[in-house]
Amino acid sequence: MGSPMGAKQSAFGRFQGIFSLLLLAGGAALLAVSLAADFTGSRAAWRGPALVIGIAAFFVGLYFVPTLAHHRDIINVIFLFPLLFTFGVTVIIPLCLGIFYSLTDWTGIRYTQFVGLANYASMFREVSFLWSLLITVLFVVFNMILVNLVGFALALLCTSRLKGVGFFRAAYFLPNLIGGIVLGYVWQFVFNNVLVKITGASLLTNTPTAFAAIIVVYIWQYAGYIMLIYVNGLVTVPGDIIEAAAIDGANAFTTLIRIKIPMIASTITICTFLTLTSAFKQFDVNMALTNGTGSVQDFFGQYLTNGTQMLALNIYNTAISKNSYALGQAKAVLFFVILACVSLIQVRISNSKEVEL
Amino acid sequence: MKKKLLSLILAGAMALSLAACGGSGGTDGGDSSGGGSASANTIRLVNGKIEVDAPLKKLAQMYEEETGVHVEIESMGGGIDIQGTLKGYYQAGNMPDIFVNGGASDFSNWAGLCADMSGEAWAADTDAAYVNEDGTVGFPYTVEAIGLAYNANILEAAGVDPAALTSPAAYEEAFAKIDGMKDELGITAVVGYYTEPVNLYWSTGNHLFANYEDAGLARDDTTYFDLLSDGGQLDVARFTDFANFVALLQQYADQSMMISGTYDQQILNFASGKYAFVTQGSWIGATMTSDDADAYAAAGNFPVGMAPYAFQDGIDTILTNSPSWWAVYSGGNVDAAKAFLQWLTSDAAQEVLVLEAGFISPFNSSKYVATDPFAQTIVDYQSSGKTSGWHWLGNKEGLAQNYTGQVFNDFAQGNLDVDRFVQVMQQVCASAYAG
Repeated sequence: MGSPMGAKQSAFGRFQGIFSLLLLAGGAALLAVSLAADFTGSRAAWRGPALVIGIAAFFVGLYFVPTLAHHRDIINVIFLFPLLFTFGVTVIIPLCLGIFYSLTDWTGIRYTQFVGLANYASMFREVSFLWSLLITVLFVVFNMILVNLVGFALALLCTSRLKGVGFFRAAYFLPNLIGGIVLGYVWQFVFNNVLVKITGASLLTNTPTAFAAIIVVYIWQYAGYIMLIYVNGLVTVPGDIIEAAAIDGANAFTTLIRIKIPMIASTITICTFLTLTSAFKQFDVNMALTNGTGSVQDFFGQYLTNGTQMLALNIYNTAISKNSYALGQAKAVLFFVILACVSLIQVRISNSKEVEL
Repeated sequence: MKKKLLSLILAGAMALSLAACGGSGGTDGGDSSGGGSASANTIRLVNGKIEVDAPLKKLAQMYEEETGVHVEIESMGGGIDIQGTLKGYYQAGNMPDIFVNGGASDFSNWAGLCADMSGEAWAADTDAAYVNEDGTVGFPYTVEAIGLAYNANILEAAGVDPAALTSPAAYEEAFAKIDGMKDELGITAVVGYYTEPVNLYWSTGNHLFANYEDAGLARDDTTYFDLLSDGGQLDVARFTDFANFVALLQQYADQSMMISGTYDQQILNFASGKYAFVTQGSWIGATMTSDDADAYAAAGNFPVGMAPYAFQDGIDTILTNSPSWWAVYSGGNVDAAKAFLQWLTSDAAQEVLVLEAGFISPFNSSKYVATDPFAQTIVDYQSSGKTSGWHWLGNKEGLAQNYTGQVFNDFAQGNLDVDRFVQVMQQVCASAYAG
């Protein structure tokens, strides 16, 4: 490298350094001033432009930081920033706030003091909450089995050589396109006004039958979706293998058990976890269909009035209808922990399966 | 170099677009929270009675023509959780200037955030305003009544005098008499008593239960309300009498509808003259004359009245109160909001509120009487001093929805007898107040 070139480079570098420093400092200052003005309740019109110009200047300054070693890192950060920022604002900050609120006596408007783990303690002393936990687990088990069985059976039908298979696929999938709330109200009408003529009393008024009703509606809503995934799995089973099995004298049942099911094992894993997590988070059908009502005559010596109230709805009702936002928040944190564990196990199992394949 | 220029432009564009997003978000927030104080010419009102949305919008228009102040009416209703929505608005800096509050617990949510209106002229003109330690914070706009509504024609045809219905024995006799004449009278059941717990829990859990708390007492007597507020206790003797009366209602109720019938069916059947009594309050008048107007006309637009829920001898009062109040948000456009509320008590505004919205005016200076079928009976009870207060709005939040509504339904299904009903209700109230 010749010396005039080097001098030029360093002069440019020095200029670039000052330029970048100016932009960084100016941008940060503008940002700070506009945010400070906002937090102090100022209504001045310049806050918006100051914020925008501040952020823009800061990033331009960051780009011009005179370093060769870290230039690539800086660019990476700049390009990743929008996603990280969005992720932080919509996921990380609310999560931290949620955990924070669960340790206070938050009313949804403000909090006055820290209560430590008192919300968590009272949550586990609440018999109706334990009941909700129990029936949520029951619901998950029932659904994981039934939705997959029904979905798989429908998928088998929809991959057979029946006429009008396209129509049936669309028809089975259709309930999934209707929102859970609407679906809940439609079925509520069916149970209370149509089926009541056959069943005598409405199925929704009795806890065990109401619980069964929720399962039925949920299967009706979700089996079509699971069916589509199974259909996709089944059509990827190579035709030559099935043909070879047929030549070897395997009947339809043997083909299903020995060929098709092992070939779509990964699809089954996916569907199992899909139904598991979505059944755990069941809320809208539960709310619209029974809103958690149903009596339990004796559970741990108590009469309960939330016979069909699942975990998500219990959290919602605790916060909204009983106006105990902090307690609801504590329950939501537990809910998050449970779901996080389920998801971690799912990722583990899926990964090990992929290695096997 | 070219590549560098391109990446520079890209990076700049991204930073700009990002900043633009942030920037526009910021100004949005400023605008909406400034809806109150930034522009003095707009106020926003959150109304909790969706059925009077149209008359309120008409009033808003009248007010804008008269004063140039734009009033935005935002109506919520049905089963929507209004307080929850308002909390969301508060968090988002989007609070309305005037909002609806249902009672003590709602007002305590907003302690220190409601403007004192004791200096307003209307405050001296009514005794239904909501007053707490922050001052006069609730503007009353109507009076509603809870009683056992009846079809006066059917009672007359059956020879039952509603004025004599002031004891359980009198009710038993009257119910039995009407029940024996069902075919003659053309009714399907004596009482339209509905207990469906998902959507109608408020009818049993709040309004019917309110009679245990207040029926027959002086307006400011809070004996049983205080007992309930103290850890959810019930007075066993009084509640057993109440339970026996509920059992009587169940015995003569429309059995096919009692467990899972809907509000719409209940009102429609009453408006069609199929029930002699219905366990709903004065608010059904609005539905009878609008949605169910055809059926009501076909049944002859019969006169209606209200009888007390006399579960003990001598109970002769119905419960009346302002069902909810409008409060002014102290962080909003307070002066314009106060001026609008004051204007609502003026003659022109009262005409619309009473004659079109069907409100029964809580203001002494108002000279209008609503055309609502129940207006006259409420005025009669009020003028003869036979009204009790209404304290269920101060019950523990969610008591009816999460606890008592289901117990009434279980009782109606026959899963509980009277003693077990009383016992379960005690346990359920205690656990509601504990957690």
